[in-house]
Amino acid sequence: MRKIAALYGGNAHQQRTLYESKYRRFFAEVIYLPALYRGSLDEFDVLLVPSQLHQGLLARSQPQIRQFLNRGGIIAAFGAQPQPWLPGHNWEFRPTNFWWWLEPNAKSGLVLKRPEHDLFRYITLEDATWHYHGVFWPAAGAEILIEVEDGGAIFYIDKLTTPGTLILTTLDPEFHYGSYFMPATERFLDGFLPWLAEGQL
Amino acid sequence: MLKNDSRIEAADFVFLDSGCYFSSQFVQKLRQQPDWKVWDMYGLPNCDLTPVHCLVIDGFADQEFLYQERAIIRRFLDDGKIVIFCGHLFRDWLPGASAFVPKQVRSYHDYTVLIHQPHPIFAGVRPEDMTYRKGVAGFFARGHHPLPPLAEVLLTLADGEPITYIDRFSTRGTILVHAGNNLFGYDEPSDTSGRIAAQLKRWVRDEYGRIRERREMSCEK
Repeated sequence: MRKIAALYGGNAHQQRTLYESKYRRFFAEVIYLPALYRGSLDEFDVLLVPSQLHQGLLARSQPQIRQFLNRGGIIAAFGAQPQPWLPGHNWEFRPTNFWWWLEPNAKSGLVLKRPEHDLFRYITLEDATWHYHGVFWPAAGAEILIEVEDGGAIFYIDKLTTPGTLILTTLDPEFHYGSYFMPATERFLDGFLPWLAEGQL
Repeated sequence: MLKNDSRIEAADFVFLDSGCYFSSQFVQKLRQQPDWKVWDMYGLPNCDLTPVHCLVIDGFADQEFLYQERAIIRRFLDDGKIVIFCGHLFRDWLPGASAFVPKQVRSYHDYTVLIHQPHPIFAGVRPEDMTYRKGVAGFFARGHHPLPPLAEVLLTLADGEPITYIDRFSTRGTILVHAGNNLFGYDEPSDTSGRIAAQLKRWVRDEYGRIRERREMSCEK
């Protein structure tokens, strides 16, 4: 089982998600973000980065994060990434359609690109389907697992841009689970965290 | 950081910014309004709160930090000021307030918002416009905070859970707690819920005046 550290910004939704016992058991440590710049990530295999962290504190911790990637660490990050603090994600904002499922012939627009990938032994596309706030345009060679019909990645794995591994999704399951909203997000986390701990990346 | 100068007089409202992405649009809007200041929340211990009337804190705030700095919040309130918190409390940093209790949801009707008693903050606001956004319920509130003694309840969920209350007794100031998104974000004219931000602002100004009057009267005695 990989040794996972989760970043924690002290807000309510992260507190609920990261300290929920069925999820907390996957984390060797929950690291309080304001303390990260003074610490080290040397002992961990994976850093889980939830959405809605303080952008300035993330920027201050760049040396730790870059060093972690340079020594082959795995970063899994949730949600919108408007700042270029992770290499090569190329975020593009898209207006959020919270109501797509009420429209006639409702379609989320999400497309499974690699159904054979090990992740999908743990979650289904439905478990990853609620809404999204934007897309990524990752570097060539990145493995896109979920994208949207009109282009852009929702979930990808990039093993080329850095010596480490970047697992990025524009989805923000921990925000919704921690906010008591959107049941699919719990199914996503129920599968994603075991995959992150022991699955084939 | 806020400095002591004459311009501060107009900065009645301070939003303690969590620095997260979801708050960034709201912050940009506030920066264009002369009676608002936006402070990075981690600067709170270095800020002069003397000219500030109302601190606004949303659900993205770092509550571990607020707990660490709870004495500042307490002193601000005991100085006759106003704190508005909108979100889910899980640390004991806000006087009189209890931890958020999520609603057990069996159907979307459980999210129905009711006006408990008429109040200027929600004057002219239809409960349906708080309950539903484009026909979907659940955005406004999904639980409640148990009440401190003598709190004034403004809004409830369908089973009577108080989602919005005012507490004038836990401190010498006034606390408004709302178990949902930032009420100052309700400013879009598309339905009546867009009245909330302006009416809340007006109420804060009136409430601040009332607190001052009470304090002056008690000093005269």
